[in-house]
Amino acid sequence: MKYGKVYFDDVKVGDELPPLVKGPIQQIQLTRYAGASGDFNPIHQDDEFARAAGMGAVFAHGMLSMGFVGQAVTDWSGAGTVRKLGVRFAALVRLKDVVTCRGRVVGKSSKDDVHLVELEVWAENQRAEKVVTGRATVALPVRS
Amino acid sequence: MPIQINKSLIGREYPPYAVTVERGKIKEFARALGDANSLYLDDRVGAASGWGDIIAPPTFSVTFRDETADTAAFLRELGTDISRVLHGEQEFELFRPLQPGRTYLCRAKVVDIYEKTGRSGPMAFVVRETSIADGSNEIVATMRGVTVVRL
Repeated sequence: MKYGKVYFDDVKVGDELPPLVKGPIQQIQLTRYAGASGDFNPIHQDDEFARAAGMGAVFAHGMLSMGFVGQAVTDWSGAGTVRKLGVRFAALVRLKDVVTCRGRVVGKSSKDDVHLVELEVWAENQRAEKVVTGRATVALPVRS
Repeated sequence: MPIQINKSLIGREYPPYAVTVERGKIKEFARALGDANSLYLDDRVGAASGWGDIIAPPTFSVTFRDETADTAAFLRELGTDISRVLHGEQEFELFRPLQPGRTYLCRAKVVDIYEKTGRSGPMAFVVRETSIADGSNEIVATMRGVTVVRL
């Protein structure tokens, strides 16, 4: 099972998340994400529209990449642990791009029996250019 | 001549809208991300979990749209159209995972609009916040999105 359980006690500042590799991005995934999310902006589906808009060609929904980053976090910390996830979309993800999501523990805190781990998270393309940068906070269980 | 953004929309609050989460929609969303986590996809795993049912991935509430609202009208009122907008930033705060069969009440507001000139020219940033409350009117999640308009 790839969804390991991680305990607050075992996490150290500086720990890195296992990288999550997604792609190469295909048009069908953008179409599928449009249907699942309800974001039917033609800029993600129709090259002609994207060119006319000055964007050169179609590109992925930012929220698709953010979803990948969310998965990189929950593959490590478990589903339902995310308290906060915030990102900036730094560069466009294009068809055929390979997106690798990464993260690193930058802080830990405990208050009123809630044990939070703060992460720096980001996603990069195959040229190691950051396409998404952000922060996540997860609540983890403690060893009893 | 760059387009003019209608800053009078700052502070605008939109009528609250209800969203009932469909079980299949959570699974469709997780699959579209290629996320096979069984807590999103497997009803039996969900039922046996502490949540009592499957839960939604952390970015799922981005699907919470006011079906009666006209997105094109919002962009028109802002002074732009869909070909000029990009997603700049997004943040979710989650107090509890979203789950199927529940009805949530969403309240959206334009909190800020500002202009800045970047590498690719003048841009406007439209910041919107949405709060998501459960049936007992408790806030379970908030979202904050920044839309970038190329001027």
